[in-house]
Amino acid sequence: MLNRFCILVACALTFTLCWVPGFAFAGDAEDGAQVAATAHGLSYGIEGFERLAKGTARAMEGQPEGYRFPVDEDVDLVVAPAADRVVVWISPKAVEKYGLDPQDNECVSGLKALVCELDSVNCMGGAQLGDVDLPWYVTAETTFDAGGYTYGFDERGADGDRYVVIASASGDAKGGARWLDSAQMVEASSVVLQDEQGPLTSLTSFLGDIDYRPFWVSIKTSGLALVIAFALGLFAAWKTMGTSSRIKGLLDSVFTIPMVLPPTVCGFLLLMLFGRSTGVGRWLIAHGISIVFTWPAAVISAVVVSFPLVYRTALGAFESLDTQMLDAARTLGWSERRIFAKLMMPLGWPSIAAGTVLAFARAMGEFGCTLFFAGNYAGITQTIPIAIYFEWMGGNTSVALFWVVVVIAFSFLVILFINMYTAHSQKYRERGLSRAERKQAKQLGGQTDSLDPVGGDALRIDREALAELMRDDTVAKGGR
Amino acid sequence: MFDMVSRRGFVSLSAAAAAGLGLAGCSGNKTSEPAGSDVGSAKSSSKKKAVELQVFAANSLEKALPEVQELYAEQTGTTFADTQFKASGDLVEQMRAGAAVDVLITASKGTMDDAEAAELVDTDTREDMFVNDLVIIRAEGSDTKVEAIADVANLDGKIAIGDAKTVPAGKYANQALASVGLYTGTEGDDGEYVPEIANKVALADKVGTAAAYVSAGDCVAGFVYSSDIFRYDGIEEAFVCPEDSHKPIVYPGAVAESSEHADEAKAFIDFCLTNKKAQKIWAKYGFELSA
Repeated sequence: MLNRFCILVACALTFTLCWVPGFAFAGDAEDGAQVAATAHGLSYGIEGFERLAKGTARAMEGQPEGYRFPVDEDVDLVVAPAADRVVVWISPKAVEKYGLDPQDNECVSGLKALVCELDSVNCMGGAQLGDVDLPWYVTAETTFDAGGYTYGFDERGADGDRYVVIASASGDAKGGARWLDSAQMVEASSVVLQDEQGPLTSLTSFLGDIDYRPFWVSIKTSGLALVIAFALGLFAAWKTMGTSSRIKGLLDSVFTIPMVLPPTVCGFLLLMLFGRSTGVGRWLIAHGISIVFTWPAAVISAVVVSFPLVYRTALGAFESLDTQMLDAARTLGWSERRIFAKLMMPLGWPSIAAGTVLAFARAMGEFGCTLFFAGNYAGITQTIPIAIYFEWMGGNTSVALFWVVVVIAFSFLVILFINMYTAHSQKYRERGLSRAERKQAKQLGGQTDSLDPVGGDALRIDREALAELMRDDTVAKGGR
Repeated sequence: MFDMVSRRGFVSLSAAAAAGLGLAGCSGNKTSEPAGSDVGSAKSSSKKKAVELQVFAANSLEKALPEVQELYAEQTGTTFADTQFKASGDLVEQMRAGAAVDVLITASKGTMDDAEAAELVDTDTREDMFVNDLVIIRAEGSDTKVEAIADVANLDGKIAIGDAKTVPAGKYANQALASVGLYTGTEGDDGEYVPEIANKVALADKVGTAAAYVSAGDCVAGFVYSSDIFRYDGIEEAFVCPEDSHKPIVYPGAVAESSEHADEAKAFIDFCLTNKKAQKIWAKYGFELSA
């Protein structure tokens, strides 16, 4: 059984490890878009290619008027695609250096091919230069008129910053450039093409770039929540057991209802209770209890959803105990607290442990209530499930996938742990039985007591343990 | 004296307690590092020199704003708590519920008006920051053809539209659809989709979700801002909705009424609008500073 699980875990990990680099690589290739390119037969290359999707016409102190794009100081090439033409500016310096002729068709088509390629790499999904074949107007003049727009390729702001400015007699110059490409021109030989990253380096950089905080937030949130839920759940189960059946039914439904309700309902109610929108919430905030969208809120959400699991399993375990045995302990003068600590807990432990693990898993997976009540603050309330959702929504599929893998691996570990624990505790029961038998044989010889192992197997184990307990007790009393 | 069984129980109990305490202790250290984690500690942190601003921004700013924030942090030393990028309506709700905020940037005048009406933002600091276009997108390389808004009715597949209740982009989309008679209201959130497209519409909880639906192939087309094309892989522009088909798309920004760093918050808004490098980042992601 265990071996099979180990193999499954190994398979899952191998599978996902093969998968993640692929994704990471796909993501990185896009991010590290080429900013430089050369083409055969051209004496120049293009570097520092930038594409600005929008300019601005906002009136601002120290900036030229008109529809403008901020550009770098040393750009040699500006491409402004309008609806029916493309206006291209090449710096006089570059024209001279590379022997370009703006009016020469061959020269322009070489440039066009190179620029279209770079534009396509940098378009990020926007319209591309190569989509439609428009006439290209190439110039080396710093101002150029075309289609009712005046292009100023070297305009300066008050502090010397460079802008490309488009003006129009009608005032609305936005149509002069649907977007703007700018770049530097360099010697073809000096262009440094970006190296394609190997899968290993891209994986390293992918793993290095991941924000690991959701993991720690998840662990500490569910860890603390578990401690609280464990204590509260056991206490509630213990106290509920002792009450009359009518109150018990009521308490039982109150304690169990968070398990049945959709987590968003819990989140909504908590938000109403502690938030500013209700009188109760305002009163609490006025008295210094302001926990909405903070880490304590995440812990409370996790406690609320995991508490019923501890409670129910503990209650089930306690109720299945032999009441005769508890009564027997009472006749011996044991306090209720002692019965709880020394009888009910040890005997119910296997169920309670399983319930605790489930509660921990539930707290780890908590999403709806946390999102509602604690929000999505990275490093504070952003747990792994929330990170998965928001990373995917934000377009970071590979990061979302990484967390999915982490969660799957973690879940496997939890299942593995449960199975190991079950196997261990069963072994313990057998071992404990034989040890008790040995002990009995040694200490009591042929003596028997009233708690002779009779009845079913399960009962026998309990009675053995009880017999042992009571024996210890009498020894302790006798010693005094 | 402990017997065998209860000793084991006690050990596991105390181990759990110790682990819990350890986690709690380590959590205390961790959370004190980003100071905005605790609303109660906001007062004490204002005494410190380094100011931390909490920004609530429209979902569409998710890629561009962090770059500008990084630039601002480099230049001024001001740091930022984890910025919330949600549908503008959700942000206003979250503020109403009591979240601590310094700067709010929404994607529509209407949502900012709501925030103003609820006295969540300082009216004097309100300023129109960006303008955007509404576009119809398709998955990259797909053969979906859209040459007019009305064409979406003939598409074979779902159309992703933001839920107009909280997503301003959805509201603009509905206005655009109304301009060709595919939606019954004129405001964008006061009508129904006509039967031709009613069962084709997939509502998204924020504009980014609509883009993600199209990118993942769940929808053949979607209504998003032109800036969304630049922040998502796998989608491309299919059609730009004419400006007169919907109300102008304006992103207003304002300092929150509850802000403890109102001056710093205002300074950040000004920086966004005037700094040349910031301007370049906005331009790269398709945000035009409003005129």
